[in-house]
Amino acid sequence: MDDIDAMFSDLLGEMDLLTQSLEQETGPPEPLPPAKQEANFSYGFTDMNESLNELEDTDLDALMADLVADLNATEMKLAADIEGLKVPSPPPPDLPPPLQGLSSHASPASPASPASSTSSNTPASSASSPLPPPPPQGAKPTMEEIEAQMKADKIKLALEKLKEAKVKKLVVKVLMNDGSSKTLMVDERQNVREVLDNLFEKTHCDCNVDWSLCETNPELQLERTFEDHEILVEPLLGWTRDTENKVLFKERGEKHEVFKNPQNFYLWKKDKRALKEIKDKDKEILIEENFCGSSIIVPDLEAVLHLREDGKKSWKPRLFQLRASGIYYVPKGKTKSSRDLVCFQQFDNVNVYYGKDFKNKYKAPTDFCFVLKHPQIQKDSQYIKYMCCDDAWSMHLWVTGIRIAKYGKSLYENYKTAEKKAVVDSAWLNRSTPSSSNPSTPSPTIKAKSTSHANGHAPKPQPGPAPENFGSIPPPPPPPPPPPSSGGFLPPPPPDASFPPPPPPLAAKSSSRPGLPQRNLPTNFPPPPPAVDLPPPPMPPPVDDSSEAPPDFLPPPPLPVKSLPSPPPSFHSMPPPPPLSAKSLPSPPPPLSAKSLPSRPPSFRSLPPPPPRSEKSLQPPPPCVRGMDQSLPPPPPDPGFLPPPPPQPVFIGAGAPPPPPPPPPPPPPPSAPSPAPRVPGSVKKMPPPPPRRTTPSLQGGGGGGGGGDGNLMSELMLAMQKKRGNQ
Amino acid sequence: MAAWDLAVTVEDLGPDSPPVNLSVTSELHVGGVILKLVEKTQIKRDWSDHALWWEQKQRWLLRTSWTLEKYEIHADARLLFMPRHKPLKLGLPNGITLRLHACFSNPVFQTVMGICRMLNIRHPEEFSLLRPVEEKKKKKDKDSAEEIYDLTEVPLSSVSRPCLYNGMPAHFADSPQMEAIYKMLSVTQPPPAPEVIAKQYRAASVVDKAHINGRWLDSSHCLMQQGIRENDRLWLRFKYFAFYDIEPKYDVVRLTQLYEQARWNILLEDIDCTEEEMMLFGALQYHISKVSQSEPQMLSSSAAMDDLESALQCLEVKMEGESSSASDLLENMTAPELNDYLKIFRPKRLTLKGYKQYWFKFQDTSISYFKSKEESIGEPIQQINLKGCEVAPDVNVAAQKFQIRLLIPAPEGMNEVYLRCENKQQYAQWMAACRLASKCKSLADSSFQSEIQSIHSFLAMQQTNTGSHGNAPASDESINAHSLVSPRYHKKYKIKQLTPRILDAYQNVAQLSLTDAVTRFLQIWQALPDFGLSYFVVRFKGSRKDEVMGIAPNRLIRIDLGVGDVVKTWRYNNMKQWNVNWDIRQMAIEFEGNINIAFSCVTADCKIVHEFIGGYIFMSTRSREKSDTLNEELFHKLTGGHEAL
Repeated sequence: MDDIDAMFSDLLGEMDLLTQSLEQETGPPEPLPPAKQEANFSYGFTDMNESLNELEDTDLDALMADLVADLNATEMKLAADIEGLKVPSPPPPDLPPPLQGLSSHASPASPASPASSTSSNTPASSASSPLPPPPPQGAKPTMEEIEAQMKADKIKLALEKLKEAKVKKLVVKVLMNDGSSKTLMVDERQNVREVLDNLFEKTHCDCNVDWSLCETNPELQLERTFEDHEILVEPLLGWTRDTENKVLFKERGEKHEVFKNPQNFYLWKKDKRALKEIKDKDKEILIEENFCGSSIIVPDLEAVLHLREDGKKSWKPRLFQLRASGIYYVPKGKTKSSRDLVCFQQFDNVNVYYGKDFKNKYKAPTDFCFVLKHPQIQKDSQYIKYMCCDDAWSMHLWVTGIRIAKYGKSLYENYKTAEKKAVVDSAWLNRSTPSSSNPSTPSPTIKAKSTSHANGHAPKPQPGPAPENFGSIPPPPPPPPPPPSSGGFLPPPPPDASFPPPPPPLAAKSSSRPGLPQRNLPTNFPPPPPAVDLPPPPMPPPVDDSSEAPPDFLPPPPLPVKSLPSPPPSFHSMPPPPPLSAKSLPSPPPPLSAKSLPSRPPSFRSLPPPPPRSEKSLQPPPPCVRGMDQSLPPPPPDPGFLPPPPPQPVFIGAGAPPPPPPPPPPPPPPSAPSPAPRVPGSVKKMPPPPPRRTTPSLQGGGGGGGGGDGNLMSELMLAMQKKRGNQ
Repeated sequence: MAAWDLAVTVEDLGPDSPPVNLSVTSELHVGGVILKLVEKTQIKRDWSDHALWWEQKQRWLLRTSWTLEKYEIHADARLLFMPRHKPLKLGLPNGITLRLHACFSNPVFQTVMGICRMLNIRHPEEFSLLRPVEEKKKKKDKDSAEEIYDLTEVPLSSVSRPCLYNGMPAHFADSPQMEAIYKMLSVTQPPPAPEVIAKQYRAASVVDKAHINGRWLDSSHCLMQQGIRENDRLWLRFKYFAFYDIEPKYDVVRLTQLYEQARWNILLEDIDCTEEEMMLFGALQYHISKVSQSEPQMLSSSAAMDDLESALQCLEVKMEGESSSASDLLENMTAPELNDYLKIFRPKRLTLKGYKQYWFKFQDTSISYFKSKEESIGEPIQQINLKGCEVAPDVNVAAQKFQIRLLIPAPEGMNEVYLRCENKQQYAQWMAACRLASKCKSLADSSFQSEIQSIHSFLAMQQTNTGSHGNAPASDESINAHSLVSPRYHKKYKIKQLTPRILDAYQNVAQLSLTDAVTRFLQIWQALPDFGLSYFVVRFKGSRKDEVMGIAPNRLIRIDLGVGDVVKTWRYNNMKQWNVNWDIRQMAIEFEGNINIAFSCVTADCKIVHEFIGGYIFMSTRSREKSDTLNEELFHKLTGGHEAL
């Protein structure tokens, strides 16, 4: 027992320290809105066959764009839901297909890449990946081949989008030790380990192996540590709407205790003193024997536990045994031989929870209780098994034993991963003292996840420095990397279409880590710069324009970057530039940026692409709209400001995507409203009308909780009709 | 030097022929004796495998350069000139008997190595030879019926240098008969008839088990020295339960035989398990026997493609051919569904008494029901998501009752729902759908059809067996459920009670490939608390009663014979040394912390116990030295005792 006590007191001490440091670092707790909302989008497939058949290439392109837009829209909705929170909208996973305009050869690969690319970390990498397929043109395949190929690629892409679109995302509020909380976007493919890694980035904790996510159920007074390999969304989906359950982020020494001191579990019958003196070598052997063999060995537990009788208030003692196949008890008058054991509970469908204060609540003999129940059961029921142990140690033994029986090897793998993480991180800490948060760079999660990251960060407090940066950076284009960082501070862009959200991505990330050194930025957002360079014309002009332009459009914006809560401000600052850059820049970058960047839909819309539809509907300022529709091709309106509107028309849907790297966050932040008009102008260039989707969704988004989106097909059809009509 | 006469019996001349007399001197070396002998017999043949066996001393004269004097052989020695390899009847873990040539002159350890090489089994150190338990002679002489696979034709040369052909040793590719033998070795046997199980010897107690362990041959002596003669019967078994580096690709025979040994271990209750575990073992056996019929080679089947994955794959394939297949693709993606009239009953709801008929729709992982087919476009009366629910059959084929019992989790607890189907077909489909949904798989999952299949075959099992009173032979489709469990359950449950329970366990394993199923079986077996324990009755120094020593791969366990409780456990990694006092036949072991124990062995020679402990320590060294070659010397050092070579 002594060692346990020691362990716990150690733990407590560490926690205190941590909380303190957290308080300092995190700053004021954020006003979080609802704990979480479920966004569940699914498209009906029923009509798809027919409608798809009718599609031609361009239509397919449109579909792609729509799909993307759809995603964005859903995300917007989510963002809207989360309003009060500054949770940035989850950026959509991948940007639309960046089709190269000219030849209209689809640059297929790019879209796919998001999914495949593992190294989401640096934008740069992502950027490159999209491009992969060397320009189709070079090959000179026959036209048919090219077309076939393109179509194939598009379909593939579409399928991937669909897949992507089906991904559920939850906004989860995680309570910290200090009572503050953080809100994260978690998608259904993320496991707890990935979420923890996110949290490591957001908090400045040491990344030791004890950090865990736990769930609590106040009604049943239960608590459980999620296992690192669990998909976080799954258990949360079982919660009721009005649940008071919470997700906590805290250190739980018992999570991996069995790997730190296996002797306490596997040799628990031995003399306590001998156990304390056990050599590391022997611990290793124990772990190897029990976790590294072809079969996982469950600690040999046998004890009298008290069982709460169904529906009664009494607790009856019974002799229980733990086996790999479940918990058994010895019926009265029988021997302990295996064949006489009665199965009490197998573990396939239940989780094990710690019970809190059961002495009071259920008149348990002690407070050392654990519970076995199906994760979906949230209220007291006869299907919940309540067990009571004599002491805390015995409770830990049983709970851990059950976890080993239930999860087997995964537990050990989780531990090894956590250990690696802790080591890497401490190395990091040592190296770059200032911002422990750096780990961000390696945002492990790729794909869609990146978005979530962004979100996570965004909400954070943006330090005052931001403004300053801006000022200095004014000339957006060139200095891409650094500026972004500064821009980063800006809170996530408000969902509103009107705002020119371009910079989001960068901003979002950077914002997350306030103190982050520019270093990070660069790594993360490498792409932007290149983009800048590439485009021939853009660079210089943009700068000027931007500097000038902003003023025009934007009302003198307050550069209130500092104000964390108010997201808009941040936007302002960035808005103008992006569009420009987008246009000017070659198509390729966009995809990349999109992926890598957290930028969410907003950016899209505001950016170039958001063509006609959305604008009309959304924005009041019609002029732009007009321009757009009519002048789809080369609309001149903005020309002045905008740098030479390059050839980009090709972008089509692409435009929708992400404007390439929203480069440099520009200038002085204009007021949100005004910018809108501007944007349109820039948009004009984009031919394809993908945006519609967005619009609607946006509007809806404002209100809604994350409901499902409209049927994909119908939307698609609608879009096509409109398009035809327009033309 | 004076010459004297040495009489040597040449086995090849026949049992009745008189010994050959040679005139030798004490300086003559053994090789010279053999040369003279061969010349004298005037038989021309390959004598290379022959050697001299000294009968009185029970030893081979294998060092041909040693003189007779050095061997201390005098005129009274009775020498036998005979082949070193002789045929042996070898019982395999799967119950089949092989006839093959084994080495009678080398230590058993090497004999086993040779046998394993012939059979293509890696890691022969885990095996050893066991004297069989005498079968109760019921005078029915069933031996005549026993089929013996003959491997005696295999030339020894090919065994010493095996080359693989199509993954099996070349000698198995010689003829269809040989191929059949290899198949027998590498494919699991069908479940045995219940009577066969019942007839086998079962160790009823720990003491019985301890007696069996007294039958292991001594690894450091040869077969001749241990009284084994030509055509005797021995069992080849895994002796050390530490299976190193099992690789299904290379260990086809090893894995199959290990599975067979584990299976018999369970069926004969050599190891105890609970009823739930027995049902799972039964289900796995059923699955393995079924899959091994359709999948003859132990190849792990590729993971099933699901949903979009498969759609994408097929997309790629199609794209290469024609590019116009978007519709096909989407068709593939369209989620299948089930629609039908079923009856539902919810025991808890007072409003619905008895079964009511509705139009049911199964889509994705949910069931919805409507008043009628016509109204199925609108809102369902209720929609039930089956994710994470428990699905149990409630079936009586004879009574034509086909019900599915669902326990559906909800925040308030579990809701019980019964679905009644009209017939087998309907039941199999809906049951399969429910099963998949409970595991979060939709109807589009590739395992849907096979799930239906297995439900059908289980229904068939129940049907046929109720009719034939379990006498049906274990042929393909109709496996007798009693063939899958130990005799205890033959008495406890009728087949129709047993079948649903096995089916219940089966749903968790039905998707496994053959290799995975075998591996799972072994894992569960190895996770049993008593796994790997070899028992010996011993008497501790200073104690007056017999106790049991359990020897496991990582520890020794002292067990109270009367109660069966574990009294004490010692782990090998705390062991400092162990000794055998061969004079008083006592084992003495010293552990860290000044713990000393000493005991004598009651049911086995202490050499066997000594070899067990040393053997396990040897096994644990394998992972450390990475070399593939077997360190035979170390093995003998650890297990040989004072008589070590």
